[in-house]
Amino acid sequence: MSTQTQAPPDGASSSVDTRAVAVRPLWLRVLTTRAAAILALDVVLFVVFAVQSGGPFASEANIQSLLLSATEALLLAVGLAMLLGAGIFDLSLGANLVLSSVVGAKLMLAVADRTPDGGYRNLSTVVAIGVVGCLVTGMLFGLVNGLLVAYLKINALIATLGTLGIGTGLAYVISGGADVGGLPTEIQSDFGLLTFGAVPVPAVVAVVITAGVFVCVRYTRFGSRTLAIGSSPSAAERVGIRVPRHLLRLAVLAGLLAGIASFIDLSHFISTSLNGHSNDALNAVTAAVIGGTLLEGGKVSVLGAVWGTGLAVILQGGLVIAGVSSYYQLMAVGVVLILAVGVDRFSHLRRART
Amino acid sequence: MSTARRRAPDADEAPPEGAAQPPQATEASPGAATKVAIAAEHVGKRFGHVEALRDASLRAERGQIVALFGDNGAGKSTFLRILQGIHQPDAGRLVVDDQPVSMTSVRDAQALGVDTVHQDLSLAPDLSVVDNMFVGHEVLRRGPLGRMGVLDRREMTERTEAALRELSINLPSLTVPISDLSGGQRQAVAVARAVMWSSTAVLMDEPTAALGARQSELVCDLMRTVAGRGLGVVVVSHDLPRILAIADRVVILFRGRTALDVPAADLTVPDVVATMVGYGQEESAA
Ligand SMILES: Nc1ncnc2c1ncn2[C@@H]1O[C@H](COP(=O)(O)OP(=O)(O)OP(=O)(O)O)[C@@H](O)[C@H]1O
Ligand SMILES: [Mg+2]
Repeated sequence: MSTQTQAPPDGASSSVDTRAVAVRPLWLRVLTTRAAAILALDVVLFVVFAVQSGGPFASEANIQSLLLSATEALLLAVGLAMLLGAGIFDLSLGANLVLSSVVGAKLMLAVADRTPDGGYRNLSTVVAIGVVGCLVTGMLFGLVNGLLVAYLKINALIATLGTLGIGTGLAYVISGGADVGGLPTEIQSDFGLLTFGAVPVPAVVAVVITAGVFVCVRYTRFGSRTLAIGSSPSAAERVGIRVPRHLLRLAVLAGLLAGIASFIDLSHFISTSLNGHSNDALNAVTAAVIGGTLLEGGKVSVLGAVWGTGLAVILQGGLVIAGVSSYYQLMAVGVVLILAVGVDRFSHLRRART
Repeated sequence: MSTARRRAPDADEAPPEGAAQPPQATEASPGAATKVAIAAEHVGKRFGHVEALRDASLRAERGQIVALFGDNGAGKSTFLRILQGIHQPDAGRLVVDDQPVSMTSVRDAQALGVDTVHQDLSLAPDLSVVDNMFVGHEVLRRGPLGRMGVLDRREMTERTEAALRELSINLPSLTVPISDLSGGQRQAVAVARAVMWSSTAVLMDEPTAALGARQSELVCDLMRTVAGRGLGVVVVSHDLPRILAIADRVVILFRGRTALDVPAADLTVPDVVATMVGYGQEESAA
């Protein structure tokens, strides 16, 4: 009996199914993603505005200001992208930012020990209390959202619409309706407007956090379970994942990111900006969804959220420089959002049909 | 002549320490096979107005394949979900690995070494094949990265390959999302996953419904292998001839009640069909 040619009778391991499409090389996959397309769009828009404005748009000062606005928007968008990945929504991130900044600012003023000339005797304590106040308020806000959505099973859209109203109202009550100012200028000079090379330090912070979220989504158990839940909550439940607990953690994480953004906001303006964040939720959704994060859950594109944030910021900044009224800026972002969701629906339907 | 088919990956290749391991299967000595792997006695379950189960009983010993037959809506899937801890029974008692148990969640059943191929497969369509095989049982890297929750995808991929090889399933790639696979390929992944994570009993709800003849045979072979390793196997199927040929016992469910529980050798396909249908006539005549 010869032992050399013993092909398995069923040919299972020998016959390669030639219809199986070879996996495309990484660079090709990266280049053809939605994120890459949005990045290209960012570049095009930037060049268009730079040329149209005849210079000012591409100035270092303007780019820094764009990066600063992008910083807060990015933190919210990345948090929202994680939530969307698990199939839940959050309309309240902007309200969370405002409330957290008000609480942080009030706490800073409350513990401040001022010198007659307006300085602070206990600067580091004041700043530390401010940071902790912002972050903890953000997390608590997220915790409330998480409890409502994950444990009381209230539809996320409704629950966060409710907390959006409650949070905004609370921010006005605590602040007495006027922006809380008079914070230590050091948070602005040593953090908010400090630059690292040409890059604002808060932007560096946001990029580092975003990189962390990227790694979390792609390479960790937490990320994998998030996508499993978004992909099919019942299947996730059946493989033993504690779905409510996971959703709660996600909501707290998104709240934490909003809390970080709120401190960046304070250190940018040395004051709260009660009325400056009514479009944050809109921008965050636009950024996440246009970047390729699926509204239906199961897919998160952190890189897409980065370029999507860039798109929203460049669009608004460019229209400002071009002298277009802020009402039209709002409309432009709205149109982009609908286009993004339209493309999203189309690609999702097409995928489901095949 | 050695058996050509490889065992499931958990049996002989011990994964590196620190990695999440599937619960180790007890090596089946013939003497150990008389113990109960999983059993349910006089189980009842109501959903609102629907009484899905009234008096359902079943018993799978270690090393046994028990076929659970019944008409559509007889309560088979509900019964398996109770055995998997997804639903809690209103009446009756459950036994796993010779111990009476009360399971309040899937995790309880998993901890006891019970896993299921669900009728709807319960896979996450957006996740890759590898991630689906390990979701809920992820293998983490060793060292500090692992403590931060970083996955060891290489290890997971190797073990997935080994598990799928056993079912002779050719997949274009293990990194494609489940939604890109054919129905039969998905079913094979679900079967491989349940077998990988069970150490006491594996429950299969229509594991061959979407499979071709060759893959169905392979799943049947796999059931025999798994039973031979000392697990109890409970299989729900409408493929009566194929399952009858490999089953040790047959349990027939009729409107939520165990109508028949006999050794498979005593039955033919017409017997089974007659009981599935005829029991109702007897009952309504009575
Ligand atoms: N979660 C639920 N809520 C309400 N009723 C349910 C639920 N699950 C099952 N039922 C009912 O219980 C009965 C038994 O359903 P089950 O899915 O167990 O049947 P089955 O034997 O698996 O049928 P099939 O062969 O079609 O899969 C059906 O009448 C069904 O409508
Ligand atoms: Mg069923």
